[in-house]
Amino acid sequence: MLKTEAITGKYIYITIHDVEYRVYFEESGEGIPLLCQHTAGSDGRQWRHLMNDKEVTSEFRVIAVDLPYHGRSLPPESKEWWKEEYKLTKRFFLDFLIEFSHALDLERPVFSGCSMGGHIALDLALEHPEEFRAVIGLQAADFTPGLDLIWFDHPRISAEFKYANLYESTAPTSPEKYRREVGWIYSQSAPPVFRGDLFYYSVEHDLSEKLQQIDTSRVAVYILAGEYDFASTPEMCGQTASKIKGAEFVKMKQLGHFPVTENYELFRGYLLPILKKISKNR
Amino acid sequence: MWEEIFTMKIRFLDPNRVNQIRDYINSDPEFKLAAKYMSQDILLQVDEKQCILKIRDGVIKDILLNPSPMDQWSFFIKAPEKSWELFLQPTPPPYFHSLFGATLREDFQFGGDVEAMFAHYWATLRLFAVIRQLQHE
Repeated sequence: MLKTEAITGKYIYITIHDVEYRVYFEESGEGIPLLCQHTAGSDGRQWRHLMNDKEVTSEFRVIAVDLPYHGRSLPPESKEWWKEEYKLTKRFFLDFLIEFSHALDLERPVFSGCSMGGHIALDLALEHPEEFRAVIGLQAADFTPGLDLIWFDHPRISAEFKYANLYESTAPTSPEKYRREVGWIYSQSAPPVFRGDLFYYSVEHDLSEKLQQIDTSRVAVYILAGEYDFASTPEMCGQTASKIKGAEFVKMKQLGHFPVTENYELFRGYLLPILKKISKNR
Repeated sequence: MWEEIFTMKIRFLDPNRVNQIRDYINSDPEFKLAAKYMSQDILLQVDEKQCILKIRDGVIKDILLNPSPMDQWSFFIKAPEKSWELFLQPTPPPYFHSLFGATLREDFQFGGDVEAMFAHYWATLRLFAVIRQLQHE
């Protein structure tokens, strides 16, 4: 008998700042929409384990999008993108996610993202609280400076570096096959994309003076941090949560920068109670 | 427990072990794959003690203990002994599990020809993974 998964993929067209993008996303399940955002320089495949978790998909419609220039979402056809330096800006990131949610007619989805996806979860909670019922920021911090580094996009350093460097960003206790999968996905992005995303992650995203303005009575905020993450450390994420009144923080043992991908079996033990709480408060 | 860890010798500096370490790394299938285009001399420093791993076409030809200032190297990795011991634990504590993390958040340092190090980063990490295994055999 043919072995299959419940995940399906689709392309839609979205216009952001007068440029049309052909956008790929995958989804699985029915119920409360759960919009998932991948990390910098990666794509929606990171969420495959979650999208195959029947305990989640029985209550949530899980949607994982590939940002333009990532995964199967190619660069736009209507502009000469090759004449510009690729840089993910906060404005584009926010506007894209809101437009994507509207295009799919999602009704106050839950938003979850990891790393830069975690950072944008906090930006969304601040700027668009009316759009989401909750945000779950994984490895989400107010400010993570110092990681916009030249060797992430250099012609004499191959994609093999990203494979190795992001592999070592996982916890040593995570299953080896999934640690390698994190690296594999990273080795597949176009050369400038990871560093271009880090412009948002490490330069432009700075909520250090604005965290207190996030209103958790309008949008629930959960921040989860793997103890092995040296980029958005648990200390940074915990301090971030402590400055948002009503935010909940969980430090996740034996997980690194990629909890969803590197060790989903362990991660779901942290995620499911939060999803149950959100589901109960629907 | 910590006392016991801190008195453990760093085996890649042990004259009685270096040949075994060299042969073990050279026989590692993943290192062979990752290092196939690697010809670099890596300086490792533990407190003030040093060695140079001389790699040619993916094979460690020599581990030179106590090199002289005239011995050349391409890039270095330095840390205090207590940090190396944490780094070489079978399950290192957070940040010591990663060369990049230990440099960013702890007291590891790298330098010299960092372009060469990053170009051969997979091989460099595999080298340390094998050294970590040997540290506890």
